[in-house]
Amino acid sequence: MSTPAHEMGRKDASFEREPARRVFASELRECRYQFKDGEDEKSPTFVLLPTGERCNRVFIVGTLTEKQRQGDQNMFYRGRVVDPTGTFFIMAGSYQPEAMQQLAKIETPAFVAVIGKPSLYRKDEASSPMISIRVESINVVDKETRDLWVLDTAEHTLDRIEAFAAGTGVDVVKAKEQYPTIDPVTYRKIAYDALAQVKI
Amino acid sequence: MDFSEAADRISRKFSKSGQTVDQKKIEGKLRRLIEEFGVQPAEAERSVTNELNKEFNIPVMGAGGSAGSGGAGSGGTAEKKIADAAPGEWVTIEGKIVALAAPASPAIAQSGIIADDSGALRFVAWAKANAPAMTQGSWYRIESAVVDEFKGIASLKIHSGTTIKEIEEDRALMPATTSIGELHPGIGSIRAKVVQEWDASHERMLQSGLLGDETGTIKFVIWKEPGKESLAPGAVYNIFYAQVDEYNGRLSLNLNTAMVMQEEGDIAVNGGEAAVSGAIVHVAPGSGIIKRCPVEGCNRALSRQNYCPVHEIQLKFVYDMRIKGWLDDGEKTHSVLLQRDVVESLTGISLDAAKEIAENNPLGMDEVFLQMRDKVLGRYITCHGREIDNRVLVNKCEPVVFESEKHTALLNRAGGAS
Repeated sequence: MSTPAHEMGRKDASFEREPARRVFASELRECRYQFKDGEDEKSPTFVLLPTGERCNRVFIVGTLTEKQRQGDQNMFYRGRVVDPTGTFFIMAGSYQPEAMQQLAKIETPAFVAVIGKPSLYRKDEASSPMISIRVESINVVDKETRDLWVLDTAEHTLDRIEAFAAGTGVDVVKAKEQYPTIDPVTYRKIAYDALAQVKI
Repeated sequence: MDFSEAADRISRKFSKSGQTVDQKKIEGKLRRLIEEFGVQPAEAERSVTNELNKEFNIPVMGAGGSAGSGGAGSGGTAEKKIADAAPGEWVTIEGKIVALAAPASPAIAQSGIIADDSGALRFVAWAKANAPAMTQGSWYRIESAVVDEFKGIASLKIHSGTTIKEIEEDRALMPATTSIGELHPGIGSIRAKVVQEWDASHERMLQSGLLGDETGTIKFVIWKEPGKESLAPGAVYNIFYAQVDEYNGRLSLNLNTAMVMQEEGDIAVNGGEAAVSGAIVHVAPGSGIIKRCPVEGCNRALSRQNYCPVHEIQLKFVYDMRIKGWLDDGEKTHSVLLQRDVVESLTGISLDAAKEIAENNPLGMDEVFLQMRDKVLGRYITCHGREIDNRVLVNKCEPVVFESEKHTALLNRAGGAS
């Protein structure tokens, strides 16, 4: 499904693919604010990370612990990917046939790398928003890749915490408005604990 | 009917801004408009004035035309160094004709490049200007010429109001060479090495390729013209007064106007070597094993039906491997193209093994794609290669390995301040 983006990339030199952010599960699940950049129907949608960065795409590596098929007409797969800090909820539907087939094929538990788009949804009006990742690609990887990801994600998280403390970026200001009760410094402890779980 | 009064008015208007116009000619034009075409006299006067304005490159101000001509030249024709001449200005300059080019149109009498010690500028002498022909290597004083812009490059327009005088000047002019990284649209001089020679993409093209120095590379082109010679790949040249064009935000050098001198020595070219690390987040269609057109110099990827967009069905195709994808470091996503030997070392699948799968597995080439994708998607790698058009052409890559020093440093950083 991502081919149009590529063709666009080739024709339009200014096209830039949205980077896949590195974020731990415990931070991503706190996201409550989603926005569009621009009025256009095709403008990208972002969730705002509590550490003050917009995020249209994520790259996560963890353990796929569960997966289940749901729906009849509109079949899709749900799964849970666990990192040292918590759980990501992923899903792949018939609009991502390749991702769905990949997910269907993988036997749990397994280390997986997932590239996907986070989005907020509510089960019903009354419930609080949940975040799940719509899978673009998923693949089985090894433990070393998982360990590298923890380092990578810890580094990016610490970078964001420092930028947040400096407090000047547009998204940092927005995050302070949207998440008044969250102190990003808590993610420093989370990053430390995640790193400490990586055994050499 | 007498036209001399109106003609006089017009010529006085232009002589104020330093132009000399032929009053007889103006009279003739007025007569033609009024008598032959039945134009109202006021309208005819306006029309002739505007025509001259256009010829002298004077912006028309207001409809009356009476306020126009003098105003435009009000800045005067300042005596300028060539490097200071900006589009929209009337200038007087002194410089040496360092290059003459074949006129691109019969409306142009002469075009080329004029230089002084501050810089160089393209010039165009209109056929209508009746300017004296200038000779390459001589110095001239050019008064009341207009600097304008053509395709984003400043150029000096010599019109019928310009006076050209040859001056006695026998200075050797050493153009200041810049590095490729500092070039900007206009005229540039560089010292560079021919790092690549490309197949001519046009029958009028003599040669095209890539020039490089310590700061980067730039595409060059030489069009077929009597007396033009190709550059030798690998050789180093001093290139003076080449035209720097910009297209789609990228610069290229047209060497037809340039003075090109080969010289001894070598340059350690910075070929835009880039090293990017990150995770492979997408493996694009067209990766894996592919078939290429066997026609000499073509090498295009064939469709599944062995169809080359130029040479049609090619059954004696050549197999190749590549991976096209996106490498993402969390801040920026780089488009990467891994060449065959890189693919072989990264995936552990040799071309022979891939061929075997492509020809004998029921999924054929798709199976190769899937196996390669499973081996690289989501993995951390470091790619080395040249970056062109936002795409890194990878000639070497290695997997990122876990470094315990980095782990410790991060633990300290995360634990330190809390």
